[in-house]
Amino acid sequence: MPVYSVSRRRAIALLALTSILLITLDIQGNSVVRGLRGVFSTIFEPVQSSARVITRPLENSWRGITNYGELEAENQRLQDQLDQQEGAFIAALATARDAQELLALNGIDNLADISSVTAQVIGGTPSNYSQTIEINQGSDRGLRVGMPVVNAAGLVGRITWVDNDRSLVLLANDSLYAIPVQVVNQPNIVPATTTTTTTTTSTTTTSTTTTSTTTTLPVVPPVSAVADPNGITTTTQSMTTTTVDLSTVDFGALAPTTTGVIVTIAPGTTAGGPTTTLNLDDLPIAETGIFRGRGIDNAPVVEFIDQNSRFGEVQVGALVFTSGGSQSLAPRGIVVGRVIKIVERTGTSGAVLEVRLTAKLTSLNFVRVLLYQPVATGAP
Amino acid sequence: MIDFVNKPVARLILVGLPALALQTTFFAEVKIFGVVLQIMLALSIAAGLAGGSENGALAGFVFGLMFDLVLTSPLGLSALVYGAAGWGAGYLHSRALENPKWLNALVVGLMSGLATFVLPIVANWIGVEGWLSSRLTKVTIVVSLSNALFSFLVVPVARWSLAIRRNQRLAPPAEVFL
Repeated sequence: MPVYSVSRRRAIALLALTSILLITLDIQGNSVVRGLRGVFSTIFEPVQSSARVITRPLENSWRGITNYGELEAENQRLQDQLDQQEGAFIAALATARDAQELLALNGIDNLADISSVTAQVIGGTPSNYSQTIEINQGSDRGLRVGMPVVNAAGLVGRITWVDNDRSLVLLANDSLYAIPVQVVNQPNIVPATTTTTTTTTSTTTTSTTTTSTTTTLPVVPPVSAVADPNGITTTTQSMTTTTVDLSTVDFGALAPTTTGVIVTIAPGTTAGGPTTTLNLDDLPIAETGIFRGRGIDNAPVVEFIDQNSRFGEVQVGALVFTSGGSQSLAPRGIVVGRVIKIVERTGTSGAVLEVRLTAKLTSLNFVRVLLYQPVATGAP
Repeated sequence: MIDFVNKPVARLILVGLPALALQTTFFAEVKIFGVVLQIMLALSIAAGLAGGSENGALAGFVFGLMFDLVLTSPLGLSALVYGAAGWGAGYLHSRALENPKWLNALVVGLMSGLATFVLPIVANWIGVEGWLSSRLTKVTIVVSLSNALFSFLVVPVARWSLAIRRNQRLAPPAEVFL
């Protein structure tokens, strides 16, 4: 049975207390702790870079041995997806361009206006719990702590530490990650059809007869008034509605700020083609909430949803976008994911929405850092 | 310069920096069943086996702190848990009169599993959510087994880093004489 002297017990107790003190200081955001990380990083960086150069061939060999079959299958699958999405992409481009014009007209921040820096992922997380990646761009290229990181699919995370030529990105599924978002129900997807509804109202001097006829006809002029020689005025009101797949429209960007206006979004490349009219009064208004990561195994959630009476119930499949705002670390309109599960809670706490991220965080290669800082911290 | 390098703290840092570099590069990419192997934890426990509970606690604190400095988790969390693991390994070591390699591997494996399991519990206790999940079992098993294998390499390295001479190594633990 070991016997410990008082001094040894004190030494061990001192180490434990020092650890607890450091935890407390770090949780409170102490600047000394941040400085300590910075100093250590400066010392450690050359060692790490050397190790990266030495171990890279070993890593590549390991990947080649363990992932070859998987990569081949994934490559085939991705090729199929690429073929499918090529057509959709062309149509989406036109829609996106019009949406950007609308955003510009309304003075809303537009993702396309924000400068960005492309970076390569050079390291994964060295821990089994925290979710981070290391990228090969840093403060030399204008990166700052807090800037959002995205890829082609959507939100990836945010910069959490910056050095001159590299940065650490906290992934969106890390439990320390949180950001305000909007949740928008996806409209029902109906195959593209054209339906024309014609309402005819007939008025005479002696009696009033209202006839409502609904029929499917070729497109007629929008509104026409015909004066009958017999003194009967016939007003024909025609409404042409084209139902389209709205899943590609960025409702998060449109709905909350533009209401009561009919916005015309027409594919500019098809002159004389059909015009799609979207009445924004009919579009769902986004609900706002806080998106929060919950670790590698648990789906991220949206909490503290501000229920809006016009919006109604959130549905599975609803789209989740960043909501922006003067204090949010990300601009509005970055795609985050889709709602996959709704967990109802009793009381006033509201529902919790489980979200599937659109960006695949386990296989990141290149990412884009948006050089965006909220107004509250001094926008560039 | 030679005197400085011979001091245990200097050696701990000299060993810790390349080990940490290996952890953040090679082991961050080469995962077994999706689990990142934990060489820093193995070194902390090995230090306890090589130098007793006090040295184990010190080495665990140093290695854990170095690891914390490159992570986004609260600074001091790994230092606390790794320090405790190093102390525990030293305590177990002091209970045995001799320490064959297989016993070292067993202790490193057991303590690694315990530390891997306790780390998210402590994190949860201080307010870091999301670390406790069903994946924890898999992580614990993989880290235990891998660190048990690492023990054949890291125990000699820990002996060197704590500047333990051969005659000291063969003698019973210092705690016995106190």
